[in-house]
Amino acid sequence: MVVSIKDSVKLFGISIMACCAVFVCNMFLNYYLDLTAAADLINDFRAQSLYDAQLMTSKVVCSVSGGCLAITTIAMLFFYIKHYIDSHSKEIGILKALGYSDLKIAKGFSVFGLSVFTGCLAGYLMSFLIMPAFYEKQNDKGYLPDIPVNFNFILFVLLVILPSMLFALIAVGYSVRKLNQPCVNLLKGLAKVKGKNRSGKDKKDFVAEMRSSVLRSRKTLVFFIIFSSFCFSAMVQMSASMKDLSSEMMGIMTFVIGVVLAFTTLYISTTTVIRSNQKNIAMMRVYGYSSAECKRSVLDGYRPAAYIGFVIGSVYQYALLKIAVDVVFAGVKGVPEYNFDFPVCFITLAVFIVVYEGIMFAYGKSMKRIPLKQIMSE
Amino acid sequence: MIESNNLTKYYGNGESRFKALDGVSISIKNGEFIVILGASGSGKSTFLNVISGLEKSDGGTVAYDDRQLNKMNEKELTKFRRDNTAYIFQQYYLLPHLNVEKNVRMGADLDKNKDYLKFIEAVGLSEKRKKFPSELSGGEQQRVAIARALAKNPKVLFLDEPTGALDENTGRQVLDYIIKLHEKQGFTMIMVTHNSNIAETADRIIKMNSGKIVSVKENASKKAAYEIGW
Repeated sequence: MVVSIKDSVKLFGISIMACCAVFVCNMFLNYYLDLTAAADLINDFRAQSLYDAQLMTSKVVCSVSGGCLAITTIAMLFFYIKHYIDSHSKEIGILKALGYSDLKIAKGFSVFGLSVFTGCLAGYLMSFLIMPAFYEKQNDKGYLPDIPVNFNFILFVLLVILPSMLFALIAVGYSVRKLNQPCVNLLKGLAKVKGKNRSGKDKKDFVAEMRSSVLRSRKTLVFFIIFSSFCFSAMVQMSASMKDLSSEMMGIMTFVIGVVLAFTTLYISTTTVIRSNQKNIAMMRVYGYSSAECKRSVLDGYRPAAYIGFVIGSVYQYALLKIAVDVVFAGVKGVPEYNFDFPVCFITLAVFIVVYEGIMFAYGKSMKRIPLKQIMSE
Repeated sequence: MIESNNLTKYYGNGESRFKALDGVSISIKNGEFIVILGASGSGKSTFLNVISGLEKSDGGTVAYDDRQLNKMNEKELTKFRRDNTAYIFQQYYLLPHLNVEKNVRMGADLDKNKDYLKFIEAVGLSEKRKKFPSELSGGEQQRVAIARALAKNPKVLFLDEPTGALDENTGRQVLDYIIKLHEKQGFTMIMVTHNSNIAETADRIIKMNSGKIVSVKENASKKAAYEIGW
């Protein structure tokens, strides 16, 4: 059929997100289950207080990171399916013209569940590698009894099997919805061409018009760019506070996950923008537009979104840690006071500006490599 | 004056390597309308790409007066295209998310041409200037491509099978627009086609086969778009 197992490999962004989500959730949930199993052994006030705090931490971390990443993964799945249908509209149109039903074609999209499965399984296994060290850190003061790492089958089902099946079903359901259009539109590729005239006189120059139209044509990518800088900002700044509030190990983990998610999402978004505008870029270059102008028209529209994401990430990490310290751990002794860390914020912003602008500059240069002959030979 | 001298171009590697251009030399006068005629695989489109600076040749030279294209780097070639040339392709290549007016501005802005609406008018699409490419017929889309190309006031216009995707009536109409605008504005025009009837509208007809020029014919009995067969 149209979608093959090979296509599911291209959804590595989804695999990475699923991996990060399951890695964090399994580590904390497994600890949660192992800790509650040892509840009877806790018999003094200090241990009880730490026990309650750690159960609460596990719930908060799993809900926030798991929920956040699950929503983003679903958004990314929808984005991939829409992009796939847009870029394979002719093949799909032919199948529909031959009499294949929407459901029959959509069933092929269930292979995208494999990407989720791969990511979930990797995250699940990786979390077990780090779990012994994590358990030890959680109880480094020795208030709690020794808690061994147990394999909880229910978590394997909940975090690996169930999400894979659920995502396969979501993929089929969403693609049925997207395929529900006349096959002539698919054959002519009309689905991907939805322009919109704005009222008033057009005063902007061509590059500015192009920039707005690129932005309007792929609104989902704005979300991913915001998400990317949000991850970078929130998790890098959070990782700096983790050393005092939790442990160095948690800080490193938060940093690594934040950077991986940020770069993966940014890579996917930027590559998609360039690929989907390849012909337009080539045509602009044929007419004599420089690669700097091509970059301005295709990539620069996303810059405000990137910086908005950074601001949201800064506010989010501050609010989350403030609530955790002042509300969740209010009764726990030894938790240090938490305030917004301006120096860390400025350093993170400076690094973000250098990295983001550097990546965009490199992508701009890569536009030179789009072969002009490609559009002439089609 | 455009001069190509002994142009060669290869494609592929090893056993699949073949010569797409084999010593092509020609001089084209300013304002001339040339048609390059040939069957599929004759090398006509490769010649057009090389002579227009879209592709580099493997041997030989292309010169526009005293400027040699093969000595230019990518940046200089981009500047050269910006200042001198425009293109019309068989597949139009309009920007799908921009309306007619904004597509034409793509060409007009390069020449800081504020008077671009006259080109939309010239191709008879004033009423449809707010329409998007998907809302236009093939002929109308090609007319937008013509307006876009001419709005940058090119010195040389390259056309690769501009009527290849159009039916006879629309094809004649589009060809008529192009020829009239060429006569009015006086730019050099180099058109590639496999349709020998279209060649009758040109000043000179160059036939290509297997990467070589096989004949060059001055066309004394130049015809209008509506006088030729199809």
